[in-house]
Amino acid sequence: MSKDIKKLTDNIMNKIDQGKIKMKPKMYFIIGSILTFVGLVSSVIVSTFLFGLVKFSLRSHGPMGQYRLDQILSSFPWWTIIFAIVGLVLGIWFIRQYDFSYKAKPWLIIVGFVLAVIVAGSLIDAMGINDTLLKRGPMKGFMHNYCQENNIQLGSGCRK
Amino acid sequence: MDNKDFSDEEIVEKVRTSDRNLYAVIIERYQKRLLRYANNLIKDEDKAIDIVQTSFIKAFTDLNSFNTKKKFSSWIYRIVHNETINLIKKYHKETPLPEDFDFSSDENIEEDFGKKETTIKVEKCLKEIPLLYSEPLSLYYLEDKSYQEVSDILRIPMGTVAIRINRAKKLMKKLCQKI
Repeated sequence: MSKDIKKLTDNIMNKIDQGKIKMKPKMYFIIGSILTFVGLVSSVIVSTFLFGLVKFSLRSHGPMGQYRLDQILSSFPWWTIIFAIVGLVLGIWFIRQYDFSYKAKPWLIIVGFVLAVIVAGSLIDAMGINDTLLKRGPMKGFMHNYCQENNIQLGSGCRK
Repeated sequence: MDNKDFSDEEIVEKVRTSDRNLYAVIIERYQKRLLRYANNLIKDEDKAIDIVQTSFIKAFTDLNSFNTKKKFSSWIYRIVHNETINLIKKYHKETPLPEDFDFSSDENIEEDFGKKETTIKVEKCLKEIPLLYSEPLSLYYLEDKSYQEVSDILRIPMGTVAIRINRAKKLMKKLCQKI
């Protein structure tokens, strides 16, 4: 089929004038970026907690080790996994619609992501936030009950 | 002030905010160049026209995602690149590289011919070279893009652009000696 390049401008401009081609609003791209960002942040949170959990479980061999692990698992923010998956999937889908825009540096994003997870996970573990979660707020009650049930002396981290 | 005096990015801003009819100026500026580029990749004029038309339509619908601080030229070339690659994948049409080809030669073809002569040879020889090498070669010599722009369009590091262009020139010398 022979086509005339000179008609290209007319073809496209006619479609624009007739409203057959419409410009997507800026909001569309803003929402895409926000969803991707939310997905990425949620992924960092999920990965950080998992990292902290792995480190914690590796050294949780003392009294109550299993109990503390169970408590952390029960207090794990599972909702962030949903946010992470939904945000990333939708965000990537949005971005793929206009993926041709700019050169991304995937290695930079991956390195940044992994570093953020390791640093945040290590900080949480080093600062004892995992342990604090067990001793304060709702966890304190569980700890108290557990210590009483097992005749373990309270105080000093509920050690015998 | 005539539209000719405005940069691509300024016109895009006007299309987005006040006068969408100015998009015709963008089409006029780029259609021939993009058609040549697409045709060099797909080697089929009718398909190249389809690609360029689809690319202009996509560019218009997604114009709000374009950052006017960046080069519009690289952006629109990237769209045409994506459209062409999608079509090539669909039809699996690609020039294979000869199995026994060796890149070890250190000859510098530009030293032998100069850039102008190399450009003429590129025009004649492009169809013989696989897409991986012909595309950066086409962008650099025929579309007159810088290494940075080729890197932006193909989303590969500048070093890779240089390597591919160098290999393409060696390929060109071996495969197109009779041209």
